[in-house]
Amino acid sequence: MQRNILKHSTITCFLIALLFNFSSKAQETTVDDYKMSFSFKTTKKFDNTRVLEVNFIGKNREDRKDKIPVFDAEIQFFNIANGEEILLGTAKTSNEGIAQIILSEKQKYLTDEDGYINLTARFEGTDALDAEEEEILVRDLILELNLEEIDSVKTIFVKAYTIDSLGVETPVEEVDVIISIEGMLSKMKIKEGTIENGEIEFELLQNIPGDIDKNFTVYAQILDNDEFGDVIQKKTVNWGTFDKISSIEENKLWSEAAPIWMYIVLTILLVGVWANFVYTGYNLFKIRKETKVVEAKVNNEEETV
Amino acid sequence: MNIESRKRELVKEFSPLLEKTTKVSKIWMGVLVAIILVGVYAFFLQLFKGHEVTGMRDNVVWGVYIINFIFFVCLSYSGAFISGILHFYKTPWKNSVSRIVEIITVLSLIIGPIFILLCIGRLDRLHYLFLYPRIQSPITWDIIAIMTDLIGCFIYLYLTFIPDFAILRDHSENAPKWRQKVYKFLAIGYQDTPTQRETLHKITRTMSAMVIALAIVAYTVLAWIFSLTLQPGWNSSIFAPYFIVAGLYSGIAVIIIAMYLIRKYYHLEHYIRKVHFMVGGVILLILSLLYGYFTFSEYFSRWFSHKIHDTNLLNTLFTRYFWQFVLANYIGVLVPVVILFFKKFRSIKSITFASVIAILGLWLNRYLIVVPTLETPYLPIQDTREEFVHYTATWVEWSLSFTGVAAFILLFILIMKLVPIIPMSGIIDYERDNSKKKRTVNPKITE
Repeated sequence: MQRNILKHSTITCFLIALLFNFSSKAQETTVDDYKMSFSFKTTKKFDNTRVLEVNFIGKNREDRKDKIPVFDAEIQFFNIANGEEILLGTAKTSNEGIAQIILSEKQKYLTDEDGYINLTARFEGTDALDAEEEEILVRDLILELNLEEIDSVKTIFVKAYTIDSLGVETPVEEVDVIISIEGMLSKMKIKEGTIENGEIEFELLQNIPGDIDKNFTVYAQILDNDEFGDVIQKKTVNWGTFDKISSIEENKLWSEAAPIWMYIVLTILLVGVWANFVYTGYNLFKIRKETKVVEAKVNNEEETV
Repeated sequence: MNIESRKRELVKEFSPLLEKTTKVSKIWMGVLVAIILVGVYAFFLQLFKGHEVTGMRDNVVWGVYIINFIFFVCLSYSGAFISGILHFYKTPWKNSVSRIVEIITVLSLIIGPIFILLCIGRLDRLHYLFLYPRIQSPITWDIIAIMTDLIGCFIYLYLTFIPDFAILRDHSENAPKWRQKVYKFLAIGYQDTPTQRETLHKITRTMSAMVIALAIVAYTVLAWIFSLTLQPGWNSSIFAPYFIVAGLYSGIAVIIIAMYLIRKYYHLEHYIRKVHFMVGGVILLILSLLYGYFTFSEYFSRWFSHKIHDTNLLNTLFTRYFWQFVLANYIGVLVPVVILFFKKFRSIKSITFASVIAILGLWLNRYLIVVPTLETPYLPIQDTREEFVHYTATWVEWSLSFTGVAAFILLFILIMKLVPIIPMSGIIDYERDNSKKKRTVNPKITE
């Protein structure tokens, strides 16, 4: 054994070095080991409210899987135009590193000459963390969703347009839209297409399961659009189907009588076994009978002799 | 070969075993009777005072009685299984073991169910089980299985005894009159004619196959009594095969111990040879590995699933029952494995020692399956007296347990007084087959 260790001295040295290296590597991680990620997005919801959301997390520079959310960081949200900053609100990041404010549908925004709204999220910074800031430029989009049955065909109409300061509607072009149905856990995508000339229509699938009143909710979503950000519209319609909940099957073993198969199986098993017992008994009887015949023969022979 | 004179020779050889009782045997039987008498007193005490005299309470409703029940019944099933398999082998060495196995099978199947009766608080309601059986209940299946198996084993054992009873009837002129009458009655006029021999072989073969099937069914049903409940520690899909393997493990171990004792005290070295122990040892090794594997799988899956009730159970096993757990699942498996794995360790004594360890380990394993599970129920036990939550067997339970073992040994000795432990008919059959073979081979050689 000792000879083997000496023979492979290089490997032994490496193993010893590795052994001690483990302890030398065991040191605490600091904030410098993490690269900060400060992402900002806006979503216009179906009730025309607007959500501003920042996701603030630290990503380990060496281990990509190691992500730590920045908790309790105060984020300020601004609407900026022509050098003027309007504070829309502040929020602190949650345990997940998310800070969010919801702006009312009546909120007025400053826009630039092209109609873009400049939304900025800002983190002032602390002793440990540097200041962060991100801005997004979006235009206000009106997304309409209509559901109509035309010649027994259930159809989804999506209309998207912008309104300028004079109130003129301008249909949008080349905008991707996703149609989904609200499921129990998430939205289920059923169609997608591109809005041309401000409009698009989809034929809805038949027999979509609804709730107990046969209702289901259809969503039209424009996601991660460079010009409009996220815009969501939804509508509930009574086009679904509803299957009655099948009655819960009760445990048959708790019922008055056992299931028939149990009687059949037990009967087959028992009849098979007991038939064999009877067969054995019958053969023993045959053995006894044969003895009597043999004895009778012997007696007869003795009498004749 | 003159068969009649050979039969006479064999009866003469085995007669001392049947007729003479040595001083040591008498002392032994006296001790066993004394243990049984104490057990009878304990039984009446339990009968009149109820389960108050036992350690069983509302929470732990099963104790050592059910463990003895499982132990004996599993022993019987494994005996039936092994005996059925041995019947299909036409080797000379099986003769020395087959009767030991058959007797173990029947005796343990008589004694085992008595323990389940001791578990019942209201014996006066026992007949309700038969009057109002619930076919859905595994308990009903178990009653049906045990009764059918008991009758099947009795028939099988009787079939294997008939030729020997006939030999003893014809060649025990010097035996007492009552004994001759018993042999005559039990031999049912069997004359060993070719037709009778053929018929008897045919039905014994069928019964041996049936006994194997019955043993597997009954084993499975016994395991289902536990595994079909939702109790943590019992609700397991591998319980049926686990019970089968554990039962065979205990069966082989008891056979080895019985072989050792019979060989030593009845001086049957000529019939029970070293090869029997070596073969038994190898089978025990295979079964101990299988048993260890099942035990590991069972506990590992519980530990890994990390369900709260399983975790509670494992915590109980590793704290309150730590030493029992080590003895049952480490010592009880590893010691036999180590002894039996290395050829140089295998001797008659060491193999017997491994068997004793295996038996003790298995009994403890059953204890750990039953008691800690009942001590960690789904609903936490609060504000209850300590002795109601935890189980400790009382002297009444231990006494009745030892009575079971004593009755088993005593009945074994008594059966050995009725028929030789080595089946004479088996020896005759083997020698007859051999001489037939020689007769068929010799003409070919001369040609």
